Amino acid sequence: MGLFDKLAGWLGLKKKEVNVLCLGLDNSGKTTIINQLKPSNAQAQDIVPTIGFSIEKFKTSRDSLSFTVFDMSGQGRYRNLWEHYYKEGQAIIFVIDSSDKLRMVVAKEELDTLFSHPDIKHRRIPILFFANKMDLKEALSSVKVSQLLCLENIKDKPWHICASNAIKGEGLQEGVDWLQDQIRTMRT
Amino acid sequence: MIKKFDKKDEESGSGSNPFQHLEKSAVLQEARIFNETPINPRRCLHILTKIIYLLNQGEHFGTTEATEAFFAMTRLFQSNDQTLRRMCYLTIKEMANISEDVIIVTSSLTKDMTGKEDVYRGPAIRALCRITDTTMLQGIERYMKQAIVDKVPSVSSSALVSSLHMVKMSYDVVKRWVNEAQEAASSDNIMVQYHALGLLYHLRKNDRLAVSKMLNKFTKSGLKSPFAYCMLIRIASKLLEESEGGHDSPLFDFIESCLRNKHEMVVYEAASAIVHMPNCTARELAPAVSVLQLFCSSPKAALRYAAVRTLNKVAMKHPSAVTACNLDLENLITDSNRSIATLAITTLLKTGSESSVDRLMKQISSFVSEISDEFKVVVVQAISALCQKYPRKHSVMMNFLSNMLRDDGGFDYKRAIVDCIISIIEENPESKETGLAHLCEFIEDCEHTVLATKILHLLGKEGPRTPSPSKYIRFIFNRVVLESEAVRAAAVSALAKFGAQNDDLLPSVLVLMHRCMMDSDDEVRDRATFYMNVLQQKQKALNAAYIFNGLSVSVPGLEKSLHQYTLDPAEKPFDMKSVPLATQPITEQKTEIAPVATSKLPEKMAPSRQDIYQEQLSGIPEFQGLGPLFKSSDPVQLTEAETEYVVRCVKHTFAGHLVFQFDCTNTLNDQLLQRVMVQMEPSEAYEVMRYVPAANLPYSQPGSCYTLVRLPEDDPTAVSCTFSCTMKYLVRDCDPNTGEPDDDGYDDEYVLEDLEVTVADHIQKVLKPNFGAAWEEVGDDFEKEETFALSSVRTLDEAVNNIISFLGMQPCERSDKVPENKNSHVLFLGGVFRGGHDVLVRARLALADGVTMQVTVRSTDENAVDVILASVG
Ligand SMILES: Nc1nc2c(ncn2[C@@H]2O[C@H](COP(=O)(O)OP(=O)(O)O)[C@@H](O)[C@H]2O)c(=O)[nH]1
Ligand SMILES: [Mg+2]
Repeated sequence: MGLFDKLAGWLGLKKKEVNVLCLGLDNSGKTTIINQLKPSNAQAQDIVPTIGFSIEKFKTSRDSLSFTVFDMSGQGRYRNLWEHYYKEGQAIIFVIDSSDKLRMVVAKEELDTLFSHPDIKHRRIPILFFANKMDLKEALSSVKVSQLLCLENIKDKPWHICASNAIKGEGLQEGVDWLQDQIRTMRT
Repeated sequence: MIKKFDKKDEESGSGSNPFQHLEKSAVLQEARIFNETPINPRRCLHILTKIIYLLNQGEHFGTTEATEAFFAMTRLFQSNDQTLRRMCYLTIKEMANISEDVIIVTSSLTKDMTGKEDVYRGPAIRALCRITDTTMLQGIERYMKQAIVDKVPSVSSSALVSSLHMVKMSYDVVKRWVNEAQEAASSDNIMVQYHALGLLYHLRKNDRLAVSKMLNKFTKSGLKSPFAYCMLIRIASKLLEESEGGHDSPLFDFIESCLRNKHEMVVYEAASAIVHMPNCTARELAPAVSVLQLFCSSPKAALRYAAVRTLNKVAMKHPSAVTACNLDLENLITDSNRSIATLAITTLLKTGSESSVDRLMKQISSFVSEISDEFKVVVVQAISALCQKYPRKHSVMMNFLSNMLRDDGGFDYKRAIVDCIISIIEENPESKETGLAHLCEFIEDCEHTVLATKILHLLGKEGPRTPSPSKYIRFIFNRVVLESEAVRAAAVSALAKFGAQNDDLLPSVLVLMHRCMMDSDDEVRDRATFYMNVLQQKQKALNAAYIFNGLSVSVPGLEKSLHQYTLDPAEKPFDMKSVPLATQPITEQKTEIAPVATSKLPEKMAPSRQDIYQEQLSGIPEFQGLGPLFKSSDPVQLTEAETEYVVRCVKHTFAGHLVFQFDCTNTLNDQLLQRVMVQMEPSEAYEVMRYVPAANLPYSQPGSCYTLVRLPEDDPTAVSCTFSCTMKYLVRDCDPNTGEPDDDGYDDEYVLEDLEVTVADHIQKVLKPNFGAAWEEVGDDFEKEETFALSSVRTLDEAVNNIISFLGMQPCERSDKVPENKNSHVLFLGGVFRGGHDVLVRARLALADGVTMQVTVRSTDENAVDVILASVG
């Protein structure tokens, strides 16, 4: 059972569409997370590295939202292409592999570049962080991750961080609930 | 969606095209709505259509704007509108080479190609393959393999055809999909089977043995698809042609058996293949011709057309076989389809008797104005062929042609007529004046610069040698007054030739030339000034060198030498002799019948084969300081066909050295050769100085190694030498599947055929358009003459051809063509000897009992004269 398909058809409400950008370094689990968020019958069996980007659509029940997620490739070659889609995004999911201590600085760099981009800089756009792969024993806690990324310095955008295990789907619901609340307040 | 054209619009012609006045910038502006949410598929679709329209109109998109539009378009993948998505695929393909970072859509396309929506899958594969490069291909390899064997035919076909395109780019990867292609070849779907066969063939086409195995297998097992059969026929006839053996082979039997196939398409393909084969016997030809004959009376216009078109093409080669169809062809000359009628008539013209010519020409004149230019060209070709066959008919034909020349028609048509008239003039001296008169009339009102300049050139060459040259001057000078720069310049050059040849015309030519010096165009003025000054000297040698016979150097070569000279200026003046010669002289060869329509105009100054060699050799450090490349020979095979290693050699001649370039191919898939070189043992005092080996020679990838040889300095007449050649190398055995080589290898060698260096390797062909003038110019300072008896030669033709190929010189004044029924002939040959000295040869031939030949050689260098005489005797 997917997380977002409960009330959708039942209420027959007209959905609001929200575009979400899913960013983060390669191998952090973006595609796996998005796959988990899709209704179970649409989930892919095996996840292969994303080349370029891929668009996934699914609906949320609770808030009658229709999510269009731009799942971007995190490989170095493609990261500078993210910006083509910044204008598009009304929310951002930023995924961090919390077991990858070595590349935490790279993730921070990418995050800084994101925040200084003119299409993002002055927008109050909600950002959800997943400190993913929490199941691995060398994984850092979400608090540690947010320290390393200096999230406390983010002043002009609502943000939230959750630890997650994308393979089992743990921690995802909490994050998505937060994101929906943000979008709702933003829209009304 | 796009507004439906209404019928009236369509008929009124202009105004019917809703995209006619599109502005690129406005369209790109509109493309911003791609960024809007929600997406409006209808409007987006319309804009994509406009973008594709503009691209197809040749509109130039800058990288930045194209990339921006491309990325905006990628957002449309959000929409599930089928038409819109498919339009995105088209856009991706169109923009694949103009936008940056098109690989951004890779994952989106792989998702579509593996998804549930069948209408997306084929097109997504095709788009994906357009944006993929070799490095990315590995990533999608497994999807491609699955797609090739997909049970949906459109998916499988798309994957096969895309693979075929990618063979050019990533042969090694696509090669690994052979098993899948093999499986697809047994598909029930006729297109899939055809495409699979195509891929299999292209993967193997460099390996004769594999192709013939494949052919064998499929001809035995049989195929379902008529398209695949047609392809098998083509492959089989190509193999047959290459094997140069007789037609007594299973391949021929297979093609022959296809004449009885139940599909007309296959039957036609087989018949066409047979009649196009070189050296077909009458017996082999008969069944194929009778099939075509049958098609001539088919109710299907397409079949009649195919049959008559094929018969038309082979009419000259197999006149007697085609004559058998004359009755059927006669029935077609009134066919309601004008194309069929034209082809029928022109075929009959080619094969019919002289007496039927007038009747057929009359028939065709009745509708020549109704047929398209393309078929008018066919008519002109037939006339051209007729004139060669029945020279006596040339006045009828000339008349007909001059009428056609006055008709409306496009460039190709007019050019065909002009070429035909020129070839008649050249074949029949008595028609020269009428022909030139028609052409003069034509250029009075000719919109095609290329034709006008060509005719002016001809007038300049032929006019001065006619009994009354003065009458052409008016036509030529009219051009100077009325036409565009290019034509004016050509007219000035033509005028100069009249002045140079005819003393009594010189004063008036000088007056006209003087006026041209006031022309508004630089080129025209420069030419006029130049010719004025040359003509005023009144010296025959100057006229010959600078008016009749122009420069014979390679233009890119001259540019490079001049550039080099300006880089390090020397005390010495620039030496023209150091410039490489043009290797493709403006040929004076007889115009063949067939290429009249097909011969293309030279695009622009494309670098010649030799310019390319020069460039490649100058990149090799060992060959620095050899000077300009003087001549590159045609490749010489040093191995027999179908051996383990295939080696051919190109001989490059420099002022004092020879460089032998060995192009080697390793046809063993279980060997990697390394440090490959060809060791050479000269028979004469040639000194081998250096070997430049090829580092690696993997299976089926050609590589080159070189040998540098110094020519003997003390004996300049030692121009011929025989080299025995041995290829030496290190072998590393490897796994045929992966290409992975063993760690260590062993030395081995392979004996090649002997290589000859002959006098022809030291002489470059140069065309002297006016040989007489050149002969005077060189003068008799070093003239030598000798007489020989060629006892083993039976005809003048044979003698002429032998001399030309032996000396490797350029026949001038069309003297390579021996008039019929003559028993004496003079051959004029032009060339430049290594080192840059002009060499001219005049060979007087007389046919008695065998052929006697008196050779006279002139040159600006005594040594060159000696070399030529020594090598003849
Ligand atoms: N142990 C563990 N592995 C994960 C988790 N999320 C993703 N992965 C694995 O990490 C790899 C990369 O995932 P992917 O979604 O392709 O990453 P992306 O490059 O960010 O899209 C895959 O092998 C996933 O199975 C997680 O929470 N825990
Ligand atoms: Mg991914």
